[in-house]
Amino acid sequence: MSNPKTANVVIIGGGISGVAIAWNLAKKGVKDIVILEKKTVCSGATGRCGAGIRMQWGAEQNCLLAKMSVEFFENANEILEYDRDVEFDQGGYLIVAGNEKENEQFKKNIALQNSLGIPSKHLTPQEAKEIVPHMDETQIVGATFCQKDGHLNPFNTTEAFAKAAERLGVKILKKTKVTGIDVKNDKIVGVETTGGYISTPLVINAAGGWAQEVGKMAGVDLPLYSERHQILVTEPVELIQDPMYMAFSLNIYIQQTPHGSFIMGRSNPEEPRDLRQTSSWQFLHEMINTCTTLLPPLRKLNLVRQWAGLYNMTEDAQPIYGKVDNVEGFWLACGYSGHGFMLAPATGILLTEMILGEPLSIDITNLDLGRFERGELCFETSVV
Amino acid sequence: MLRIEEHPILTFEKGKLVTFTFDGKELQGYEGDTIASALHAAGVKVMGHHHVSGRPRGFYCAIGNCGSCLMIVNGEPNIRVCVVPLEEGMVVETQNNRGDLL
Repeated sequence: MSNPKTANVVIIGGGISGVAIAWNLAKKGVKDIVILEKKTVCSGATGRCGAGIRMQWGAEQNCLLAKMSVEFFENANEILEYDRDVEFDQGGYLIVAGNEKENEQFKKNIALQNSLGIPSKHLTPQEAKEIVPHMDETQIVGATFCQKDGHLNPFNTTEAFAKAAERLGVKILKKTKVTGIDVKNDKIVGVETTGGYISTPLVINAAGGWAQEVGKMAGVDLPLYSERHQILVTEPVELIQDPMYMAFSLNIYIQQTPHGSFIMGRSNPEEPRDLRQTSSWQFLHEMINTCTTLLPPLRKLNLVRQWAGLYNMTEDAQPIYGKVDNVEGFWLACGYSGHGFMLAPATGILLTEMILGEPLSIDITNLDLGRFERGELCFETSVV
Repeated sequence: MLRIEEHPILTFEKGKLVTFTFDGKELQGYEGDTIASALHAAGVKVMGHHHVSGRPRGFYCAIGNCGSCLMIVNGEPNIRVCVVPLEEGMVVETQNNRGDLL
């Protein structure tokens, strides 16, 4: 099968965002959509992430985007007619406060979340221990909990979108790397790939960790940078932990998958800004120290492996959605700053609405590229 | 007797007797044994169970790779008994699930 020579839409990046956008566009009747993936579907941050989803955010917009995504994930198997299971485990998120200042902020977050219909609640350390009995409650001063939060299997979720998109005619070109974006008179006219040239008037940059590089190909210097985030998985044991356990002050998250293994990650504030995806012993040392302090019985676990993926960061830790004003036909869905997986259902819906000029289900016009020039950043502090 | 007493090349010098329990029963091995070799010598053939099917698993790779001999040792689950040296007073138990942390 030879690669298409023309396309109405070219999406760069075969991660969860790319396939979600493709499926939504195809569902709305857009024909000749091509996804370009330099390796394989899920080979970037999607297949490396913790795949958690939470509605417990500090900024209203993120609460709404996550709520839309949770409602989608709850019915994803049916909506996407998936023959397997995306494994949405709604064991909740328990977010612990390490100090009083954080605890006070959490109380404000809860008030906001509740006003938006998100069933989160504030807990004392003792109440938190009832939900995660193996925790050392003396390490925390409070917590918040939302039962509707949870985590998924990122491979299955992406496959569900990809298969549904392919059934609607979307072509996913794997092992096909974009080598250039052809811009004439400030308009996208095509993309150069290792599989040949494709003429197209519309390119969506959903390249995750490589979104900055893709931007440069179109002559746009996007306010993005990438940094490595590390993660590990343990052997499986009997299920003891329902919720994702998360601490912003310690930059960690710890979950137990339905299979029984524990997956945990930790952000390093000193991480250099580059495209490395290597693993380090320092991560293991710090992660293990932190997790066994917070959840002491985890010291009995054996480690299976560790890996790393890229966060594509913006200054305000919020995604960039929308078009590039000075390059017609160039659209952005990048800069998720570590929460691209969980927002993907909303990303797909909203980008599609934007591109087709439809009214937006959630107003995300302030998350445009122009906010950096206008100085109107929308800071989100509830991030790991 | 499942111990090799005579071998054309190697010689085996037994260390001193070590007493341990397996599923509550008192057994003896020798210093220098792994837990699994002492169990094997004592006639224990079932080292674990598949955690989904429940079918018994025997002594298989004996070098810590296969995961067929995961047991609870002194309360810790998922111990590969084929690579852990036997110690006096060890409490060894059959593990019939993925391992309990609590």
